[in-house]
Amino acid sequence: MKKLALATLLAVGLTGCSGSEEPQVLNLYNWSEYMPQEVLDRFTEETGIPVVYTTYDSNEAMYARLKLLDESAAYDLAVPSTYYVSKMRQEDLLMPIDRSKIEGFDNLDPELVNLDIDPDNQYSVPYLWGTTGLAVDTADVDGEVTAWADLWDERFEGRVMLTNDMREVFHVALRVLGYSGNSTNPDEIEAAYEKLTELMPSVRTFNSDAPRMPYLEGETDIGMIWNGEAVMGRDGLPTLEYVYPAEGIIAWLDSFVIPKNAKNPDAAHQFISFVLQPEISALISEDIGYATPNLAARDLLDESVANDRASYPNATDMINAEFQTDIGDEALQVYAKYWEMLKSGQ
Amino acid sequence: MRSARQQPFRTAVLILVWGWLLFLVFTPNLLVVGASVMTRDPGTFISLPLNLDAYRQLLNPLYLEVFLHSLYMAAMTTLICLLIGYPFAWSLSKVARQHQVLLIFLLIVPFWTNSLVRTYALKLILATNGLLNSALMSLGLIEEPLQMLYTEGAVIIGLVYLLLPFMILPLYAVFDDLRDDLLRASHDLGAGRFSTFIHVIVPLTLPGVLAGVMLVLLPAMGLFFVPDILGGSRNLLVGNVIKNQFLDARNWPFGAAASIVLTLAMAFLMFAHRLSKRRIGEEGV
Repeated sequence: MKKLALATLLAVGLTGCSGSEEPQVLNLYNWSEYMPQEVLDRFTEETGIPVVYTTYDSNEAMYARLKLLDESAAYDLAVPSTYYVSKMRQEDLLMPIDRSKIEGFDNLDPELVNLDIDPDNQYSVPYLWGTTGLAVDTADVDGEVTAWADLWDERFEGRVMLTNDMREVFHVALRVLGYSGNSTNPDEIEAAYEKLTELMPSVRTFNSDAPRMPYLEGETDIGMIWNGEAVMGRDGLPTLEYVYPAEGIIAWLDSFVIPKNAKNPDAAHQFISFVLQPEISALISEDIGYATPNLAARDLLDESVANDRASYPNATDMINAEFQTDIGDEALQVYAKYWEMLKSGQ
Repeated sequence: MRSARQQPFRTAVLILVWGWLLFLVFTPNLLVVGASVMTRDPGTFISLPLNLDAYRQLLNPLYLEVFLHSLYMAAMTTLICLLIGYPFAWSLSKVARQHQVLLIFLLIVPFWTNSLVRTYALKLILATNGLLNSALMSLGLIEEPLQMLYTEGAVIIGLVYLLLPFMILPLYAVFDDLRDDLLRASHDLGAGRFSTFIHVIVPLTLPGVLAGVMLVLLPAMGLFFVPDILGGSRNLLVGNVIKNQFLDARNWPFGAAASIVLTLAMAFLMFAHRLSKRRIGEEGV
């Protein structure tokens, strides 16, 4: 009933906005700061299709919006992370991708296609991949930092930043304790919670809007960060260093998906092909610091980017790396409970 | 003749107002009530059967703790707003008429900017290498930058900043109605400044105080973006819990139940407000 009322309201709102002649637009729903404006401009220039760019700062928010707006077809393209692809696929929220309309798929890294999250890539096309690791401002931190466990060091009291992402924060604590970051065992999750309560006095802030900002603002010296943010942050703070922790980095892969009721799936396919061009993929990776899965683009990258360990880790960096997987609804509730307890300081 | 001409306009306005209330206030609230008594469902967010589990979950000591902490921060905000707003509104009512309009206009001007934008602006002022710290340091008042951002204090500063006008405006209204002859009468009958304040001014401005408290206290518990931005996502408000339940935990019934409890608290305050107004009315001012 709620959904119906909402849909009606939205329908009224939408018909109110759009004229009788509906111009072709691409509604792109993406993470904030995750697509250079230049790419959007060039796409519009080349195809004549304007892009309406809307952003989110968590998979959860994106999922809730897409699920709610399922019938109103508000978005043509979205970029969920790793396990959200399988979740949305299984819940029948996605439209199969017509591979005949996609050019350049063969350029993608064979290790990043045909994964468990979407066998044979029927519903998704990899966009970028990246990691969540340690950021250290070497101007303010003496001595070497090599592991997640170093965050617990008391000399960092009040100087630690964590991402505002329940799964990632628990992932860190679970790894420190030697468990999988995808644990569904309530005892392990509780132990991780206990471990995190010891860290809380050190935590200055949680941030998932732009995790580089607290470092640039001088609020924090050490903590979690996404690798692309570390690369972008170095522009303003050259002493910001990206560290691959010994317990293992958190890895993720963000993929293009087309919501089931997308209004303009053709434009969505066109956009995916556009991004898969080696030149465009390379431009994106250089601009926002995340790694492109497009092998043909890797050859075009600027030397300094291609050799940047923060963007393109070597094999040793990825030892113990773990991708996030869908933990199921039951475990999610356990995490959510402890997350709120953690945040409310119990 | 005149009233007949006005009739269609009146009807149109009434339909508009009632339609607005029905579709944009009553119906959404009804949906929230509905959601709060449904069962949590991972697939469709909410499903049958109806039950009160969400409300039972609210009794968990964890949420009581969050609620109390939230109430504490909202109460501090309200108190500070009152301490600033009361003398502010009083002096405002003493200024010459033509200046009053200008001052009230200035009070309202910040509303033209989105509150989210203004909160981010506050962040620039409070940050470790922000405006306030650099100013204090260049004045030589402090050696090391103060840690102001991402503290409970920063959240309260943000809430006071955003909500102060909601305290001042109702207070200004009651001070504006405060008749000088009452004060003079009190003085003539031998009351000093202090007892005039306690026995005449405070009771007469009480409805304004209550209205202000109402307009500040409840919103203060719900403005989830303030702790998110200025408190570093610590120091949760009830509003944060509601947002987390809807977005992260996807427990809609629980989020809805929490929001209804907040609405009920608001209703209770409004009831108290009415009661106080009536009492003062009966005493025949």
